[in-house]
Amino acid sequence: MKLFLKDQRPLFTVYILQLLTVSGVYWLDGYRNMAMVLYAALLSGCLLAVYLVFRYLTNRSFYRCLEQGEGLDAFKEVSPQTPLSESLHQFLKKQYRHYVSELNRQQHKINHHLQFITQWVHQMKTPVAVIHLMVQDSDDSRSTAIGDEVDRLRKGLDLVLYTARLDSFSHDFVVEKLDMECLVRAAVSAQKRLFIRSKVFPQLDFAQEPIIIATDEKWLTFVLTQILTNAVRYTAKEPGTITIRGFRREEEAVLEIRDEGVGIPDSDLPRVFDAYFTGENGRNFRESTGMGLHLVKQICDQLGHRVELESVVHQGTLVRFVFHTEHSHLTKE
Amino acid sequence: MFKIFIVEDDHQLAMLLQEYLQRFGYSTHAVQDFDQVKREFEAAAPHLVLLDVNLPKYDGYYWCRQIRNVSTCPILFISAREGKMDQVMALENGGDDYITKPFDYDIVIAKIMSHLRRAYGTYAVAGGERGVNFDGLRLDKDRLYLSLNDEKVELSLTEVKMLEELMQRGEQIVSRDRLLEKIWDDQTFVDDNTLNVYVTRVRKKLSALGIDDALLTVRGQGYRLVSRWEEKQ
Repeated sequence: MKLFLKDQRPLFTVYILQLLTVSGVYWLDGYRNMAMVLYAALLSGCLLAVYLVFRYLTNRSFYRCLEQGEGLDAFKEVSPQTPLSESLHQFLKKQYRHYVSELNRQQHKINHHLQFITQWVHQMKTPVAVIHLMVQDSDDSRSTAIGDEVDRLRKGLDLVLYTARLDSFSHDFVVEKLDMECLVRAAVSAQKRLFIRSKVFPQLDFAQEPIIIATDEKWLTFVLTQILTNAVRYTAKEPGTITIRGFRREEEAVLEIRDEGVGIPDSDLPRVFDAYFTGENGRNFRESTGMGLHLVKQICDQLGHRVELESVVHQGTLVRFVFHTEHSHLTKE
Repeated sequence: MFKIFIVEDDHQLAMLLQEYLQRFGYSTHAVQDFDQVKREFEAAAPHLVLLDVNLPKYDGYYWCRQIRNVSTCPILFISAREGKMDQVMALENGGDDYITKPFDYDIVIAKIMSHLRRAYGTYAVAGGERGVNFDGLRLDKDRLYLSLNDEKVELSLTEVKMLEELMQRGEQIVSRDRLLEKIWDDQTFVDDNTLNVYVTRVRKKLSALGIDDALLTVRGQGYRLVSRWEEKQ
């Protein structure tokens, strides 16, 4: 309504001017019947009002769209009844189709790219598997060093794979009721080579009763692997310890992974989950894509888990996951 | 003697698998012509199949279905894909199990043994790996004991794993890291002290057999088992 009235302001002005002009001419000609002048003004005012109401009604959907419309396809709400709004409607429709096809084209490109990346990563896993087997049986320092690098390669490949998959997350995740301790143990044991080689050892502290959480095993395992790898990487002293606690807290299940490493400076803390953020530690320690924690946060958001991070420089870092859980007498299916 | 049929187009991987399996006493056949997998299968008449999913021409699922037309032997898929859906597809196409790349030899052997056992009976598994023999000192992995001549001593599972690695290496040095990896346990994990504890225990067990000073510490490198007991004859 406001837009409509604003739009008609020049019309009002012209109308009043016209009224004054015509009356003025007659006045100057000697006509002095004031009552008649006012009566004529009233009649023509009514005509104007009727016209305005009519115009407003026929263009109402159009004005409403202009004032409140949101989104690319808002114009669809308009039911054009005047030549101007009809034209505009057609114009908007054309623009819309143009942008939608452009969007589709970009989406297609992205999908194509993601498919290539996924395919490529799977291909790369074969030579990695070959090297892994070749050095697996030997115990000399060279083979173990190669084994370390192969582990890093593998983790790098997984990082790429999971980043690529995050976009189509909904196609790729399966939620199950799982025993938190079992899942954590499996993730920890999978990294046994890392722990042993770095001389940083894990210690588990879990509640007696099984804690059941609803999550996707694969994605959560990937998340835990990221945190564990970070914890080991940033623990400078040997031998070091990583403490993993699992407990229930009212309606929630909590998993805490604590290391005694270099910690994260306060100034970096608010940004640790940002993409490509490497911070002080990233600069001082070799290799950090800055994507690890970002991915962790994204995945947890998708899974509905909360993730928190606390850290004190030179003392260590604590990463906390909070899951919803049902009551203790629920058994694993 | 069990025959394992390997369908893997990466030549190196196929060769490594063959070498390792042969060391375990299996005979192997690796597919040469990926157009004729089924024909080669029928000619080889194996007991178990290791099947890669990514193959030239037709994929692993296709060949699995083909093989299933003529056999019910265990088929283990190998693939880089670890999605749940990929695994389900493998099973639905007739596979019995799924191994993801990259994999450890241990996993492959364990799965092969498990499937052979299930398909062909417990005691039909290829010999050679129920025990380790090192110069007269015998380690029984199934029944968990160590014996020299007529003397026997019982071992815990961890002690068995440790001795297995030391004995298999002959007199070579086995690094601390490697031993720790072997004795890693999913329940208790390991820590810096674990190795010392178990080395002491194993030394005690060896003493019980009358063997002293056979398990030597090599400073900064690891441990080695030296055959001293023959001399005592």
